Amino acid sequence: MPTFVHTEKCDGCKGGQVTACMYICPNDLMKLDTARMKAWNQEPDQCWECQCCVKACPQQAIEVRAYQDFVPMGGAVIPMRTDSTIIWTVKFRDGEVKRFKFPVRTTPVGSIDPYTGKPEAKDLDSPLLFTEQGKTLPTI
Amino acid sequence: MSGTFGNPEIVEVSTDILIIGGGMAACGAAFEAKRWAGPDTKITLVDKAALDRSGAVAMGLSAINTYLGDQKPEDYVRMVSADLMGITRDDLVYDVGRHVDDTVHLFEEWGLPIWKDKGSEGVALKDGGKPVRSGRWQIMINGEGYKTIVAEAAKKALGIENIIERCFIVKLLLDEKEPNRIAGAVGLSVREHKLYVFKANAVLLVAGGAVNCFRPRSTGEGNGRTWYPVWNAGSTYAMAAEVGAELTMMENRFVPARFKDGYGPVGAWFLLFKSQALNGFGENYVVKNAHMLAEFAPYDKAAVVPTCLRNHAMLHEMKEGRGPIMMDTPSAMKKLAETMTPKEIKHLEAEAWEDFLDMCIGQAGVWAGMNIRPEVTASELMPTEPYLLGSHSGCCGIWVSGPEDVNSPKEWKWGYNRMTTVKGLFTAGDGVGASGHKFSSGSHTEGRIAGKNMVRFVRDHKGHAPVLKGDIKAIAEEIYLPVRNYIEHKDKTTAEDVNPHYILPRMLQMRLQKLMDEYVAGVSTYYNTNKMLLNQGLHLLTMLKEDSKKMRAKDLHELMRAWENYHRIVTAEAHLRHIMFREETRYPGFFYRADFPKLDEANWKCFVNSKIDVATGEWKCFKVPHKDLVEKHYGGQKH
Repeated sequence: MPTFVHTEKCDGCKGGQVTACMYICPNDLMKLDTARMKAWNQEPDQCWECQCCVKACPQQAIEVRAYQDFVPMGGAVIPMRTDSTIIWTVKFRDGEVKRFKFPVRTTPVGSIDPYTGKPEAKDLDSPLLFTEQGKTLPTI
Repeated sequence: MSGTFGNPEIVEVSTDILIIGGGMAACGAAFEAKRWAGPDTKITLVDKAALDRSGAVAMGLSAINTYLGDQKPEDYVRMVSADLMGITRDDLVYDVGRHVDDTVHLFEEWGLPIWKDKGSEGVALKDGGKPVRSGRWQIMINGEGYKTIVAEAAKKALGIENIIERCFIVKLLLDEKEPNRIAGAVGLSVREHKLYVFKANAVLLVAGGAVNCFRPRSTGEGNGRTWYPVWNAGSTYAMAAEVGAELTMMENRFVPARFKDGYGPVGAWFLLFKSQALNGFGENYVVKNAHMLAEFAPYDKAAVVPTCLRNHAMLHEMKEGRGPIMMDTPSAMKKLAETMTPKEIKHLEAEAWEDFLDMCIGQAGVWAGMNIRPEVTASELMPTEPYLLGSHSGCCGIWVSGPEDVNSPKEWKWGYNRMTTVKGLFTAGDGVGASGHKFSSGSHTEGRIAGKNMVRFVRDHKGHAPVLKGDIKAIAEEIYLPVRNYIEHKDKTTAEDVNPHYILPRMLQMRLQKLMDEYVAGVSTYYNTNKMLLNQGLHLLTMLKEDSKKMRAKDLHELMRAWENYHRIVTAEAHLRHIMFREETRYPGFFYRADFPKLDEANWKCFVNSKIDVATGEWKCFKVPHKDLVEKHYGGQKH
């Protein structure tokens, strides 16, 4: 299911050198055509269809179209993600639409404070991890 | 000075600890190491992609597959050993088992939604909340944002100024003065004309497993729909091998049986929804072929039949013409619905879809495109192309030092937990061999273990000043050779993709995949090979390796592909040589040595390790004795 970009919706992230989709793609597939200021997938057959770019696109300009070497045409799977929830729209080939909503996170984005309130690191030579301090570690 | 294409600016970075990779293990290491290191120790993390969505968990996950709860680490060790046909390092597996729950509790605290049983909704796991288990060791999550959460914790711990994204490390560097001592690494930016040269006291190599070494079943657009992440190029194994680190169990592979083509997860269907897989005639092939599995005793008597043996039974049906293999989802959902309200049924259906949407969206696309509704239509299963990894149901990887406080053979511990046989070089996750079934939580945990021990190592080697072996200019030339090849020859033909002077990384990959498929037990031979086929494969692989120097790169993206494919070649060679060395069939269903079709406990209940001699480039494979530290039982019998 390689990604494709709707020409009308993509604004090239308003002239930045790196678009949101380029920034996030784990496989470095999205590229910006600077002449047209439109993004495109430069290697569709290396697309894992993780939809990271689809979720990140501020214009909702990216979609995936199923891998044509094994999926019949006409279906679609479209995410709409906020910081706490994702809503999926699943369109079947025969026209039925299903919608699912799932939580993605229970805390506000950016709120993680990794060390505050955690034990200080003490014994570097013990096998205990720093959050396990005071625990008795079993062994064999 | 700013660089140009093929003439990069060389950026030198000195750091105490270098983390190569951005996945679960890398994030775990960053979180743990920084706490121990304090402000005076510099830790730098280098990721080929963007930390928020890199590694195997980029898309998300629908379950955490390793959470012990009130179970004993000894039992976890037994499960892992049985699934991997008896040859694992109990010390390493036990170590993950005794630490992993602490890590899962952190995930929940950071914001990962974890499903709870009725009656303990809203109660955190650490406060006694009961998770919804989809299997003995698995717990269900709403895991679409799993990696973004874990990455946020790592970023906050390390500070974003210490994270370099879009830099692909292609080579480790040894020390000029001290033999067998890591000194640093070099990597190319895939965004700018910059070559990064890192000097480090300790290095953590956690760049995932190996995907696309074999010809995949789908060779068109679906090439990208690999089961494991398509961007895992074997960089961990290849770079470690090339600096002389000892590898272990590189003959092991994983061939997951998944929903056909989309490769969506089946675990929840088997474990949570109690679905059955049947052959084309409606027969349960694992039960029917139990006698075949008995040839691989005692492992057929394991509490859960090992993954490779289940594949073995499935492949038998396929070869005998009794396909297709179908997951009977309608019967399972019907049975569950018997005791449920309509609302509960709707919830169940959503859970089934979420299993795909959280971690394998492509499979949801296959169902949508094929009008498959699991309550109405069964879905076909298929064993995939082979994958090389050390964190899932596979155990290839690097040979590492284990925990010091465990009563293990002295040869299994040489000072620092998770350090490889190269001084100062550590690994975790997919990198650590002979210890599978860590999955996401175990990999993060193992990263934490390695992270702490790297800080210890740095403390103990405080005065060390790394001196990089080799001339940086020459190394830069080697790394940018594909660019030189392109610039020098591109205008000699009228169409630049067909040119006798160079090979496209893409074609090189296809050549690798074809030979691995045909000679090294890929899908086209039903995973069969023998010594003669392997020799022919090695012959072809050797020429391919020579030709890798002629790869072209027309841009930085293709340069990344060139080096990824070089890493795939080295990893593939390790796999081939190990398969050739182990003269038995230990993992039927994953691959068969047709010339040694039986399990041979007397001669091969041992690790196979290998090493490249860094002076000569010669590979050497050898046996290493195996020992059980936790007693194993099969069918009530001690083994």
